[in-house]
Amino acid sequence: MAFAIEKKAVTKWLEKLLESGEIVAPVRTPCGDVLFSTIRSAEQVVWDFPNPLHPPKEFVLPQTDPLVKIRRNGQHHEVEPIHDGTRRFLFNARSCDAKGIAFLTRMHEMEPADASYLRRSDNLTVISLACATPCPLGFCICTDSGPFLSDSYDAQLTDLGESYLVEVGSAKGEAVVSEAQSLFRTATEDEVSQRKKLEEEARHYFGEETCHFASAMRRISTGRVPDTLWEKMGDWCLECGGCNLICPTCYCFSVKDLGRDGTWIRCRLRDSCQYAAFTLEASGHNPRAQRKDRMKRRFFHKVSAQYYKRDGAVGCVGCGRCIKVCLGTTHMPAIVGAIRKGKWHE
Amino acid sequence: MNDVFLPDIAWLADVCDETPDTRTFRLRFRDSKTGDDFHFHPGQFLELSVFGYGEAPFCIASSPTRPEAFETTVRRTGQLTDALHKLGEGDEVGVRGPFGNGFNVEAAHGKDLLFVAGGIGLPPLRSLIWNVLDERSRFGNVTILYGARTPTDLVYKQELNEWAKRSDVEFHVTVDSAQPGWTGTVGVVPLLFKQITFHPESTLAYVCGPPIMIRIVIQDLLAHGFKEEAIISTLERMMQCGIGKCNHCAIGHRYVCRDGPVFNYGQIREMVE
Repeated sequence: MAFAIEKKAVTKWLEKLLESGEIVAPVRTPCGDVLFSTIRSAEQVVWDFPNPLHPPKEFVLPQTDPLVKIRRNGQHHEVEPIHDGTRRFLFNARSCDAKGIAFLTRMHEMEPADASYLRRSDNLTVISLACATPCPLGFCICTDSGPFLSDSYDAQLTDLGESYLVEVGSAKGEAVVSEAQSLFRTATEDEVSQRKKLEEEARHYFGEETCHFASAMRRISTGRVPDTLWEKMGDWCLECGGCNLICPTCYCFSVKDLGRDGTWIRCRLRDSCQYAAFTLEASGHNPRAQRKDRMKRRFFHKVSAQYYKRDGAVGCVGCGRCIKVCLGTTHMPAIVGAIRKGKWHE
Repeated sequence: MNDVFLPDIAWLADVCDETPDTRTFRLRFRDSKTGDDFHFHPGQFLELSVFGYGEAPFCIASSPTRPEAFETTVRRTGQLTDALHKLGEGDEVGVRGPFGNGFNVEAAHGKDLLFVAGGIGLPPLRSLIWNVLDERSRFGNVTILYGARTPTDLVYKQELNEWAKRSDVEFHVTVDSAQPGWTGTVGVVPLLFKQITFHPESTLAYVCGPPIMIRIVIQDLLAHGFKEEAIISTLERMMQCGIGKCNHCAIGHRYVCRDGPVFNYGQIREMVE
């Protein structure tokens, strides 16, 4: 079902939503950066923006995610789960990021389901903004995660000039429209076909970044990537972990107790499979002590058929963030390309 | 939906020194209903928390046939284990689990069993060994081979004596280097193979110890005609969550915490790092 909302009515819609929960949206900081943040007023939301470097996964899987409150009382301890039941609306997430959240949700739904994550994602309504102009480093077209979506959103907005087309993709999406019913009208056929035209046009605007997963997947899944190639690619990795931290589908974590004097919060902290200590055992033994082994692990997890079968998708949404952050050029399209061609740039 | 990271509270009913750096902790749940609902298989493990320090995985070293309490044997080797070693009787810890697949005890009914352990690799096998000995008539011959660096490093010394005295158990022990007073075998664990007779067609072999020992023992067992499926080991990896989410223990698309930690050699051989 598709609706339309006039651009001048959007502020009212945001104000209405602010009454029933938090809105997370891209905002421009005083320094000029754009990042996802909780907003205080509707005017803060930006509509024409480069995709923020940090994906909005922070709002379902925070960098420091409080799980359990622990209190010492004499010799005894009390433990209590921490629940985040805040209703949130993620506004203007790009298609790739909406796909990223859908990927994380599928992963956390797998048995045993992770109640802490799912409580947040259940209360999150994803209102994505389709990309009529793909971003320069994006390759979402190779991962079926953009520039327009056919799933993974609660509501998808398309900029039609004077108005936004609002496609509803779930009951949560229906709710955000029906809660502000007077602001919406049913979309006209013309508006719907305009959206289709924009999608087709957008497909022609992609830059040079492409990522041909199929042949890389075949080689990674069957162990046919030569060790020497992993070694060469591993040599270029600086082990900064940046790729993991900004990846919309990365979720590896460690668990730590933060606090002091008998009051602690047990937290899930994002971790990186590219750090040597990720697999270091207390005995000193480290099964992935070498960079090549860690790189192999990262790309096996993201690109192998074994994981594709489990997750129903490659672990990449083509957002291009890893291209931006990687100082060693060992980002997704470079690795996939090198595996496909059988050689790494020297 | 469960809060998968919420630990139950248990208290230390007893703490026993095994070696200068290894202790066995006997635990009971504070809430008796949690204790009644706690069922496990040998080979499964727990996430044990020392509050303020976090949690880490430890195998259950006691047998499910003795459900009044459960035990874990821990070497002091890092921050968390150091904090655990400072706790005494009555102190509280957090427990999540049991996790992992554990040993398939029913599949071992009627079979001859060969246990090969090195150093701190005995605790996970001890759970199975006592399970077997408590239901002795269900199993064939039981052979236990155990080795450690020095006599001081042998864990469960009293139980080793008990096994040595039992007529329904063949038990051999060795140390890498002897100390005054040691009159037994000196040498690495595979040397003990000379002292036993193999029946590979009717035997399941359980191997646990340091990686180098496991590798050599498995090669020897294969050379003696054991099938890959009859050689069973329990793997150890850095773990955080215990439920296949944090990815620390992943080997290929398998997770040691959820698909293991018990694997047969055929499965281990197929795993790609």
